[in-house]
Amino acid sequence: MLVAGVDAGSRAVKLILWDRSKSQSLASGMLDQGVHQDALANDLLDRLLSQAGCSRGDLRGVVATGYGRNIVGFADRTITEITCHARGVRHVLPEVRTVIDIGGQDCKVIHLDEQGNVYDFSMNDRCAAGSGRFLEMVATRLDVSLDRLAELSRASTDPAAISSMCVVFAETEIVGLLATGTPPEDIVAGVLNSLARRVAGMIGRTKDGPVVFTGGAAQIGGLVTALEVALERPVIVAPEPQMTGALGAALSVPQ
Amino acid sequence: MNTAPAKITLAEWEVRYEHCGANRSSVPYVGPLSRHVRDGDARLPKLRYDNSLAALRLWNFVLSEEDRLHEARLAGKSIVGTMKDLGTVPVIAYATPNLVAFYPDGAWWTPCIMEDSTGLLPVADALGLGENFCPVRAMAGAFVTRAHFPIPDALVCSVGATCDDFSAIAQRLEGLGYPIVWWEIPHRRQPSRGEEAVTLATSCEAPVALVRHVSAELQRIREILQELSGFPINDESLTRSIRKANRIRTLLRNVRQRAFTAEPCPLPALEVLLAEMLAIHFCSDQAEAEAVLSDLLRTTQARVARRQGVLPEGAVRVFWVNPVADLRVMNVLEECGGRLCGTDFLFGHAIQPIPEDIPPMEALARMALADPMVGTSEDRALGICAEAARLGAEAVIISRIPGASHCAYEGRAIKAIVQERLDVPVVELEVPPLCDALMPALRTRIEAVVETVRETRKSCL
Repeated sequence: MLVAGVDAGSRAVKLILWDRSKSQSLASGMLDQGVHQDALANDLLDRLLSQAGCSRGDLRGVVATGYGRNIVGFADRTITEITCHARGVRHVLPEVRTVIDIGGQDCKVIHLDEQGNVYDFSMNDRCAAGSGRFLEMVATRLDVSLDRLAELSRASTDPAAISSMCVVFAETEIVGLLATGTPPEDIVAGVLNSLARRVAGMIGRTKDGPVVFTGGAAQIGGLVTALEVALERPVIVAPEPQMTGALGAALSVPQ
Repeated sequence: MNTAPAKITLAEWEVRYEHCGANRSSVPYVGPLSRHVRDGDARLPKLRYDNSLAALRLWNFVLSEEDRLHEARLAGKSIVGTMKDLGTVPVIAYATPNLVAFYPDGAWWTPCIMEDSTGLLPVADALGLGENFCPVRAMAGAFVTRAHFPIPDALVCSVGATCDDFSAIAQRLEGLGYPIVWWEIPHRRQPSRGEEAVTLATSCEAPVALVRHVSAELQRIREILQELSGFPINDESLTRSIRKANRIRTLLRNVRQRAFTAEPCPLPALEVLLAEMLAIHFCSDQAEAEAVLSDLLRTTQARVARRQGVLPEGAVRVFWVNPVADLRVMNVLEECGGRLCGTDFLFGHAIQPIPEDIPPMEALARMALADPMVGTSEDRALGICAEAARLGAEAVIISRIPGASHCAYEGRAIKAIVQERLDVPVVELEVPPLCDALMPALRTRIEAVVETVRETRKSCL
């Protein structure tokens, strides 16, 4: 039986076609988010259905999540990304009790109970602090691509001290550091350490146990390392971390 | 008007109002809500309202305060602006027949209700009171534009254990030529070992020395108001005023108790918030405040008796901390599947009865010291925990007011203590005066709270 999960995030639309009877993904993909969000989601759905050799008539249910979830017209139901990330993680890493999700627009820490259900969560404020957008700003300012941040941070010998997590103020600090000749690699390492400390502060009353990292920012290796240092424990990157929300959405289609 | 309880739009209220017939002529201040939109309250068409006449009366009462103040002035009454005062000085003012207490700080909602069509915030900006200040800075704008409330004949403001930003705003106002009578409310400290102490209405303790100090400060205010009014404010008239205030507080406690505990929920969150506002200064008409709340209580009681509500049964029980700058958020809580089961809108002490068995000035001093904002954040958090547990809260939402100094760190402290003691989801939200663009983000947080509680309910079955 074919179901679909759509994660209409602030930076990208992610979609998974899920074969419930075989408990496996038939196709998955993502597109950069844009102005016509519903059209983008429709295009992605059609592309993946065609790739899987299926049609819309084969779909038995669609759940949408993410900030744009209410715009996805073909969804039967919407669920927040907090619940969907938790469900996605529970499926791939059932032993995990703490989820860190850093997406384009926000950063979340989700606490799961023994059954893998959400019992509490924290999110960053309405500013872009601690979000993927913040890292994009850093990359743009340093004139490097996002996927080079990890490599740069590894080359750092003396991470810079970045005191602000506000995008605007941090940008000012970066400009100041560049003006004083601080190497980009030290700036990147400083930013990642600062972000990791902020996330660690959000974790609060977490129980011991593995922490899993989801969302697009989980692909930045340097951030994973910085989080491990800040949390003083291993951080597991979820398989295809940016697809975790869409997977959770697909798994949330009612039976 | 035998329609079942429901939440309706402004447009639906217009149709309904036309069918109210004779009911409306007997009720003061009642008229169609659309007249307030014509007066500039542009936010109203975006809200959802309780469909009872009692709620209509409440809305009209609150939204007509400026007219009432202008009428009071024309009638020769003096207007006392009681700033940074949540329920104490108004009781003294209403001990005389020709004073009207008014709460200028309430102007902080004007940019939301009027969607800033009056430009109060840019005026405040020009006064040096920018976005890093509490939205109460709109009050300073209103004093400058003089387009809203009449300028009070006297301004009384508490200072000391009050918000830093409010004190700065009030000082700026005084600098603009509006003299203020300041009275000191000290930080409510724990009694020292062996120090004589009293238990306040909110169950916390205060040293008797502090009560005496506040009582002396209030005595000074009493004398100033007495001189302004030309009528004596003696213990007898104060006792009468305290009794009236207590009648209103009792009505409000009864409305809240039913609104928070009955299933299905008999009164929407927005109307609860509005009703609670009457506790602070009776919306400049003590008698009508009592009548409005009596009506609301009757309506609520009737709904409870018939097991009728405005929300489906089983809504997630949320304890809400701090008032929201954008009223729409109260609707959103319910649209997401939640309901209020308790509130701490920063003035819980103004809902508690004022002691009637002790001298009136001491009683008022004790109430002023019970203000949650003059104690520690821990005291406030413990009070929230006790109330949330008593009312069976399944989640706690702490809304922050951007720029408000008491919100900056208090939310985090309250969150930590509530999480430790209650083991329910606790979420902080920042709610600016107009959050249309932020609504998806706010909705996500509230929906996630609701989903989390529902998951917990399922796993408990």
